[in-house]
Formats: sequence, structure tokens, C-alpha cells
Amino acid sequence: MELTLVGLQGSGKTTLVNVFSNGSFTTDMIPTIGFNMKKVTKGNVTIKLWDIGGQPRFRGMWERYCRGVNAILYVVDAADPEKFEQSKQALHDLINKPPLSKIPLLVVGNKNDLESAATVEEIAQFLDLASINDREVCCYSISAKNSVNIDKTLDWLIKHSSTVKN
Amino acid sequence: MNRFEKKDDDENEFPFESLDKGQVIQEKRVFNENQINARKCSFVISEFLYLLSRGDTFTNTEATDVYFAATKLFQSKDIPLRRLTYLLLKEFSTIMSQEMSLIATSSLVKDMSHKIELYRANSIRVLCKIIDNQLLSQVERHIKQCIVDKDPHVSSAALVSSIHLLKVSPDTVKRWANEVQESISNKSNMVQYHALALLHRIKQHDRLAVTKLVSAMIRSSLRSPYAQCYLIKCAVEVIEETGTQDRAFYDYIESCLRNRNEMVSYEAARAICSLKNSSLKELTSAVGTLQLFLSSSKPTLRFAAVRTLNKLAQVNPIAVVPCNLDMENLITDNNRSIATLAITTLLKIGNESNVERLIKQISNFLDDINDEFKIVVVESITALSIKFPKKYKQLIIFLNKILRDEGSLQLKQSTLDAILSVVNHIPESKEIALNELCDFIEDCEYSELSVQILHLLGQEGPHTPSPSKYIRYIYNRISLDSGTIRAAAVTSMAKFGLLNEQMKHKVELLIQRCLFDEDDEVRDRATLYLRLFKENNEKLLSQLLLEDLPAPAINIQRSLEQYLESGRAATEAFNIDNVSTVVETSPILSSGKASATSTPKAGAISLASSSSAAGDSTPKGKEAGETYAIKLSNIPQFAAYGKLLKSSEIIELTETETEYVVSCVKHMFAGYIVFQFTVKNTLEDQLLENVFVKMEPNVRIKFETYLPIDKLAFNDPADCYVALRIQDSTPLINFNNILRFRVREIDPSTGEADSSSYDEQYNIEEIALVPRDYIIRGQPAPKFLEEWKELPEDIQSIQRFSLNIKSIDEAVKEIVRTLGMAPCEKSEVVPPKANKHILYMSGRSVANNNMLVLARARMMIDQSGQNIDVEFAVKSEDEDFNAFVATESF
Repeated sequence: MELTLVGLQGSGKTTLVNVFSNGSFTTDMIPTIGFNMKKVTKGNVTIKLWDIGGQPRFRGMWERYCRGVNAILYVVDAADPEKFEQSKQALHDLINKPPLSKIPLLVVGNKNDLESAATVEEIAQFLDLASINDREVCCYSISAKNSVNIDKTLDWLIKHSSTVKN
Repeated sequence: MNRFEKKDDDENEFPFESLDKGQVIQEKRVFNENQINARKCSFVISEFLYLLSRGDTFTNTEATDVYFAATKLFQSKDIPLRRLTYLLLKEFSTIMSQEMSLIATSSLVKDMSHKIELYRANSIRVLCKIIDNQLLSQVERHIKQCIVDKDPHVSSAALVSSIHLLKVSPDTVKRWANEVQESISNKSNMVQYHALALLHRIKQHDRLAVTKLVSAMIRSSLRSPYAQCYLIKCAVEVIEETGTQDRAFYDYIESCLRNRNEMVSYEAARAICSLKNSSLKELTSAVGTLQLFLSSSKPTLRFAAVRTLNKLAQVNPIAVVPCNLDMENLITDNNRSIATLAITTLLKIGNESNVERLIKQISNFLDDINDEFKIVVVESITALSIKFPKKYKQLIIFLNKILRDEGSLQLKQSTLDAILSVVNHIPESKEIALNELCDFIEDCEYSELSVQILHLLGQEGPHTPSPSKYIRYIYNRISLDSGTIRAAAVTSMAKFGLLNEQMKHKVELLIQRCLFDEDDEVRDRATLYLRLFKENNEKLLSQLLLEDLPAPAINIQRSLEQYLESGRAATEAFNIDNVSTVVETSPILSSGKASATSTPKAGAISLASSSSAAGDSTPKGKEAGETYAIKLSNIPQFAAYGKLLKSSEIIELTETETEYVVSCVKHMFAGYIVFQFTVKNTLEDQLLENVFVKMEPNVRIKFETYLPIDKLAFNDPADCYVALRIQDSTPLINFNNILRFRVREIDPSTGEADSSSYDEQYNIEEIALVPRDYIIRGQPAPKFLEEWKELPEDIQSIQRFSLNIKSIDEAVKEIVRTLGMAPCEKSEVVPPKANKHILYMSGRSVANNNMLVLARARMMIDQSGQNIDVEFAVKSEDEDFNAFVATESF
């Protein structure tokens, strides 16, 4: 299966990909200039992960890597409420693109190990997930650092590996 | 891929021959497949690369799509595919926006530390094309690592890429100097060379640092021949820029002469020959080295050596003399380039005393070489005759021999041109040349040449001490030759009659005999001249016989053709005043050639034309054969504007790769300006309607007419026009321009236009009216200095300014370009190394009835050697116009 990770810069996409692939959490990260490609095998499923940079200059290019994937994984920094509005805007701009309609969306609120992190409900509300009704939408609160809910996220993703492509 | 199956077997040799861009763009979907098929993808990339090399162009959008699709291929581990992917990204990144191409950065940086060398070397070559200043500092440690990579390919790639990156961020690259220094000691020849080149470029703007680098390097022992060649060039640069007296640099170059590698010793020899201050000893050994190469078995070496000697001969002919014998052997070299260079060099080093011997020698092998080659010899001889005017006799005889031997028209024409040029430069040679030519026309197989020679005889003969002896030769033509020649002979004789009172009566008698000639043209001319002689109408005679045509011959010819086609011939007379005087392309001719050739056609027109240097006036592009003048006069709105006086060069108002490509030509009429906009629609899915250019001037003016394009289909350029009335003024206006039109979408499947349409506009570049637009280039004033004196001194306008140009030659070109006037008195030719010069130019004004305008520019290099001080003076009969040209042009 193939899926794309997007989200604002510094939300933890590349870190999450590393956790998926080898379970190790690294703090020493540099911003992704462009994209990273990684293949992860879980059980009998091979997942191709497209991890796209979150800086504003790359946001216009997210769509190109989301076309035809099995699912879009949208990462939010749950501990940075100031960025929620920006994050919501970027998310809705992306999924409103006609070629991406019906692609399942999983929003994860990363960094729930931090005290100030928002809950699942709060994130869903801030990002106005309720208004998205043309596809399957799900939201988890996770921590790449402490491996909280990583299994749950993977399970959801694998469950959608059989989704028929548009 | 079915299209290959359809083909015949023998066509399979060129599988990409009928490749279609649209189809290949479709095929890029294989890049997006879930399972990458490396073979298929590699094939498609090859197709893309083939299209690029074939010259197909991709729009920004297409390139972006291809680029992004190709980034998906980073998931494949297939090595050949990755290599092709790099190539594709590298090529397409330059067609699209740089910002978008950055998407591949992270993947490329990752590959720069990949375990496979091929990945490391090639990814960096792509990266240097896309990266920007800010990101460069983020990834620089990876590049530094590659510079010191132990694999030479990787290190070389990193060094060469760094040279490109100097353009992106010189400051960042400068920080890598240590790594670069380290790789200079790399064992690989290529790495050493690239490292030295990069180091030199890093320090380029610091003269002292370059000097230090070069003196350090010449003491080290570079082994790479490439690096040694580069170092020689650097040493030359140091010597020339700093004027250093330090012999260390000279010594190094000289020591390289003895290098075992031929490339290095050649480079050293070349350097010494090019340096002004080489000692005699150095020069002798350099020439000695080159001399050895002259007898090498490798054509490249022989060519390089003889070319360098040829150059040296221009400044220091004596130094080349020792190679005389070797070069004489090269005259028969199989390689024509080598042989040509050998001959021209030999002629250059010939001195007054051995010219004769040399000419004799050349005469001996003349029969063995072909015509094309003989032309080169003829040209060299011409140059020689100007250098040694005393030797004109031998030279004329030599040229005449070529003229009389078997040969093509082209050869004979060049030879005749050469003789004419000698006659122009050395008045003493006139008589002997005329005599020889008289002999020649007695038996000349090309009527074009006979006509030209008869013209020359008519022009020069009457002024010689004994004009009557030429009449016999000329009259012989009348009894022996074809109609065209007979007509020219009649005109030639008439000139004798006009210019020499004593011969007038005899000439009349001779012309009388032509009245019953079987050829119309001959009879017509004879009748006309006789009548005018009888009436003693010297004014009209001299106008017909001695003055230039009022317009370029080629324009007259076209106008006449059009006149005959239009069917007006029966009702109205042809008016020569309506012929455009625009010289359509005005090549700057190098030397005396311009005055010599007259087009054969001109001779056939009853107004005997003296040499009008119409040049090769083929208009460019689609316009071929259809001149602006004819085109514009066919548009009713502009027909009343009268004669087209001047058309500007074509000004591009868009990039050539945009959706709509627009260019403009400014046409000047008396009192009007017409802007012709050529618009091309490059969008297949659009039909444009009512296309016009909205011009927004920076001052208030009234436009006369707008002529839009009704319908503009894909890839079929058309013209729209804007006319402006200026009366007698010369306004300098800037226009902002917007292309406006209605778009009708076209259904790509049916090709039918949509019923609805919408307005659209498109910004294009500005246009300005400059003084040059009000000056017609025309023919150069034949007697500039006299005419300059005649024009009133008190109303001339003088302007002093400084041009930021280093050489006089460049300054002359710049001034001629800015004013669009014709250089006179051969003043556009600047002697080498001149530090002052005077340029004379002539032109005519668009307003004021084609008033003559003369300009003089005195130039001098200022003390810093960086600028040129110019004193620019303009003279005409209109004080205001003088001031206008002098103050507004620069």
C-alpha cells in the first residue's frame, strides 16, 4: 500500500516515519527539504511512505504526492495550539482538491507526551474534522517519543490497505 | 509502445525517429505505477532525453509534471534507472521554476552519502542545478564530504558542481577552500584539474590571492597535464593583469615547453606567443616547439601550431620566419584548414623583399588547389598589396593570372573584387589594372564580370592620361558580345563622352552605330544618350551616368516586380520616389569590399547603377521575400502614409517559451509611426479573437489607428498594428503594453471551438521610442570629411560623456548600435591596441525631408583604463535635431 504523510513543519512527520520503520525515536532532526521515501514492512503488508516537507514552500506540492494513495496521514503538533488555525487551513486546502476526494484521512495529534498537548476531541474540533463528510476520517492522539498509539495508527493504516483506489 | 510494431524492420534502426512529445508525456504514467518497472521507465526517460536533444521544447507546466513524476522513481533501487533519473531531473529542472524543483533536494542529499559511487557523483550534479543560497548552507557539509571523497568521480563531480554553485552563493563555496586545497593533491588527473580550476575561481576577484595561488602552484609539482595547462593560463592571466616583472611566471611557462605531454607544451608555446613581454629567447623556443609540431603526424597538432603561428605573424612576423620551410610543406597538406592557415601565415610574414618570391611560389602550386582555397589566397594577396603598395605590379599580374585561368564565377568575382580593392587603395595601380582588365574582357566567359569591368572602365578610364585607348576595348564588346554586355558598353562609352570633352564627338559617332542593334536595351540606351548629348543636357546625363540610384537596387527591383504584377502598368507610370530606401539588413562590412561589388541585376536596369552595396538583404523568418514596405502598403489604413522610411529591428516582447509570443517592429513614415506586433498563440486548446496590443504611453498622445487580429489560431502567427501620428516632431515615449483578446476554448477531442468566450489580457514588455528611430541608416556618406566641413559649425551640438567600456573597438560598436547610423571613411575599423580613435557616421533624418545628419565621436581611454571618454558632435542643417540626437542618445 502507499500513503502520504503531510502536516506543518515541525509536527513530527519524519520522526514518525522513523518510528514506523525501526521503532527508534531520534531528537536530532533537520527539516525535510523536499520529501523522503521509505518502505516499511509490517506483517505481510509493505507500506510505501511518502513523507513530504511541511514548510510553506512545499505545501503547494503536497497534492502531487497524495494523488492515488491509499490514505493520507495528516500530522499535527498537538502541543502547539498557535498553529492549529494554520494547520486547519492547510488540511482543508489539501483535501478539497478534487483529485483527492474519497481518499481516507487519518489525523494524528502528535507529541501527546507533552503536558500542554490537546486531546483528540480538541484537535478534531480545532481542525473542524466534522465538516469533512466525503470520506472516512479518523483522529488519534499519539506520541512518537513514547510510542503511544503507534500500533493503533498502523492497524488503521493496514486496515485501509485494501481500499480500492479511486 | 505499439507504434514500434507497425514499423518496418529496416526502420528499427532509429526507434525514436518519429517520436511525438505529447505521446511521450502520456507515457510518463509508468513512473506512477505501484510496482516500478525499471526497464520501462528507463526507456521512457531515454525518450524524454531524446526529445530534448532533438530540440523539442517543453512548457513550464509540462516540465513540472515530468519532473514531479520522475521524483517518484527515487523508490526504485535499480542503478541504471537512477542514473537516467538524475539526468532527467537535471535537464527538466532548468525549464521549470526553481522553487518547485527544490522538492528533490532531500532525496538528492541522501544519495550524496549513499554507498554507491554513481549515486554520490551524479546526485550532486543535479543538486547544484536546483539548490538556492539558503538551502546550500544547510547541506554544505555533505558537499564538503564529497569534495574529499576518495573516489575520483565523486570528487570531480563535487568540484565541478561547486564551480556552478559559485553563481548561487560565492560566500558559501569560499568556505570550502580547505577541502578543495586537499583534493589538489589527489592522484587523479581530472580531480587535480578541477580542484585547481575551482580554487582559482574562488579567488578570482582578488588579484593578490590569485597571484599567491599561482606562485604557490608553480612551485609545487602538479602532475596532471590538464591542471598544468590550466596553470599556464592562470600564469598568463597574472602576468597580463598585474604587469608583474617577476620572471618566475615566465620561467614556469618556459619550463612547460619541455614537458613530455604535447598538450602542455603546446599550451606553453601558445601562452608565450600571446604574451606581449616574452623575451626573444622564450619566443624562439616557443616557435621552435611549434615548429616541431608542424611536422607532427597528428593533424590536431599541426593545426594548433600553424594557427598559433598565424596569430603570432600578425604582431611579430619576424619571429615566425624560421618556420617558413615547414609551412611551405604544409601548403599541400591534406587537411584544408591547415593548408589555408599555412598560406595565409606565409603571406603575412612575407616582407617587401621576398613578396615576389612568395608569389612565384604560390603560382607554382596554384593549379593543385581548388577554387574555394584560391579565394583565401586571393584575400591574403589583397591584404599584402595594401601592406606593400610598391609591389602592386606583381600582385595585379598575379591576380590577373587567376582571373584568366579556369575557375568558378565565385573565384573570379572575389579576384575581381580584390583587384578593385587594390585599385581603390593604390591609385598608381589604376592604369596597369585597367589595362589588364581590358585584356581580360576580350575573352571573358562570365557576362556579370564583363559588365562590372565595363562599369569600372567608364568610371575610371576618362580620368587617365590616355582615355582613348580604352574606347577600342569597349567598342570591341559591341561587335562581339551579348546584349547585356553591349548595353553596359554603351553606358561606359557615354561616360567617356560626358567626362572628356575632346572625346565627345567620337563617342557620339560610335554610339550612333548602336542605334540599330538587335537588342532593345542597347538601342534604348544609345538613343537616350545620343539625344541628351545633342541637347547638351549634361545635368541629366551626369545624373543618369554618375550618381547612385536613389534607393537600394534590390528594393527597386521588388517594387518594379510588384508594379508589373499589380496591373497598374497600363494606366500609371512607375514612381521611383515610392521605393523604400530602407536597407533591410545592414551588415557592418569589414573592409573595402563594400565598395567593389555591384549586383549583376543592377547593371541590367537602364539607370546605370554604380556599386550599391545592397548586401544580402534577405529579411528573416516568415517574412522572407515579402518586405515590410510591400506588406504595409497593402493595408489600406497605411497606404496613405507614403513611403516607408525605416523599420526597426525585431524587438521581442515576451520570452520565447511563453503561452503567447509577441514581438514588435517600429515602422517610421513621414509624420507617422506604425507599430507592427507579431503575435503567436502557442496554446493548442485556445482560439483567440480580436487580438490587439493596448499601448499605454507615459505622455498624452492620440493614437491614429488600431488594427486587431480577428482570429488567431494555434501556432499561426499574425500581425496587429497600432499607428501613431507624430507630424514633424520626434517624441521619445515609453509605452507599457498589454496584449488583449477574447479566448474561445477548443475541445481537444473534436477540435471545435466553444460557443462561449471570455476576455483575457497578458502583460508584455515595454517599448520605447529612442533617437535611433528617427535616423535612417542609409548608405555611408561617400565624402564624409568634405560634407562635415560644409555643414554649419555654429549650430552643431556637442556632448561629452564617458562610456563604461574598456576597449575602443567595443565602444565603436556600441555607439554605432545606439545611433543606428552608417560608419563612414572606414572609421569603424579600429587599429589594434589603439587608445584613441575618431568615428564618423552618417544618416538621414526621418522628419525634415530626409535631411543629411552627420556625427563624429572622438574617443579616448581614460586614465583608469576602465572607461572611454567620448566627445560626440552632431551636425545637420537643423539645430534642434542636432541637440536632440546629441543629448538624448546616450
